[in-house]
Amino acid sequence: MIELALSAGVMVACLAGTIQFGYTFYIYNELVTAVGNGGRYAAMRTFRAAGSRDIEKGKAAIRNMVAYGDPRPAPDALPQAANLKPEQVQVDWVMDESGTRPVAINVSIVDYTVDAAFGMFRFTGKPAVEYPFVGRFAPSESEP
Amino acid sequence: MRVRRHNRERGFVLIAMSVAMVLMLAVMGLAFDFGRIYIARNEAQVFTDAAAMAAASKLDGTDVGLDRARQAVGRLPMRWNLGTRPFTGILVEFSPDKQSWARVTAPDNAVEITFLRAAGGPAVFTVPAHSVAATKPVRLVE
Repeated sequence: MIELALSAGVMVACLAGTIQFGYTFYIYNELVTAVGNGGRYAAMRTFRAAGSRDIEKGKAAIRNMVAYGDPRPAPDALPQAANLKPEQVQVDWVMDESGTRPVAINVSIVDYTVDAAFGMFRFTGKPAVEYPFVGRFAPSESEP
Repeated sequence: MRVRRHNRERGFVLIAMSVAMVLMLAVMGLAFDFGRIYIARNEAQVFTDAAAMAAASKLDGTDVGLDRARQAVGRLPMRWNLGTRPFTGILVEFSPDKQSWARVTAPDNAVEITFLRAAGGPAVFTVPAHSVAATKPVRLVE
């Protein structure tokens, strides 16, 4: 009985670790896919910059793309990873020397916590991607 | 009689746990090592997608354009292995006319195997990735 108790403790610890890391890796993989898709969408969409509100609307669409896989998600849309919210997606345009024309887009996950049953992991600043901006530059257009 | 039967059963837990531990290592390997392999594969694919687009966006049919394309790939800050390691050995190839497409390969992403190794698996598992982007319009084609 003593041997069983001791070895069962080790087995349970191993099983808990397996579940915890397995689930965390699964979620991280989902996040990598989500930021990759969002980055590619951002790189190819039209950059409208008639006003600062238009730039913010564009960023909101990119955040929605990362979080829900859709720039205009339905109210009941499911997140790309468990409990991922648009607020947990950071979108930063990299501008040229003049500061008006985008040359690249950075998309990353911030302040995202994985609740993996036996513990929690927090991701900030990763996963992250940078895509070159290859979309249409429309400085005088407004976001619809 | 009861004492004898008890003696014959001594050591059973040790044998059972030894067998179970090997199985447990294999299960841990499936979860931990395969998890890392899949993540590395995904990170490498996202990187080559971005790099191919960056390279294709710089092509203009000249050698200067090829240099600018290689520099654009080199400037990308993305990493792999849970975002901790830079990509190395990146291969950038172009269409013969130097302006139609760019292909980026990340061949050297070797994931160290931790648990499956103990259950007879390999020491490392390499997960290469490659992407091709066309220039007009700049888009991924593969």
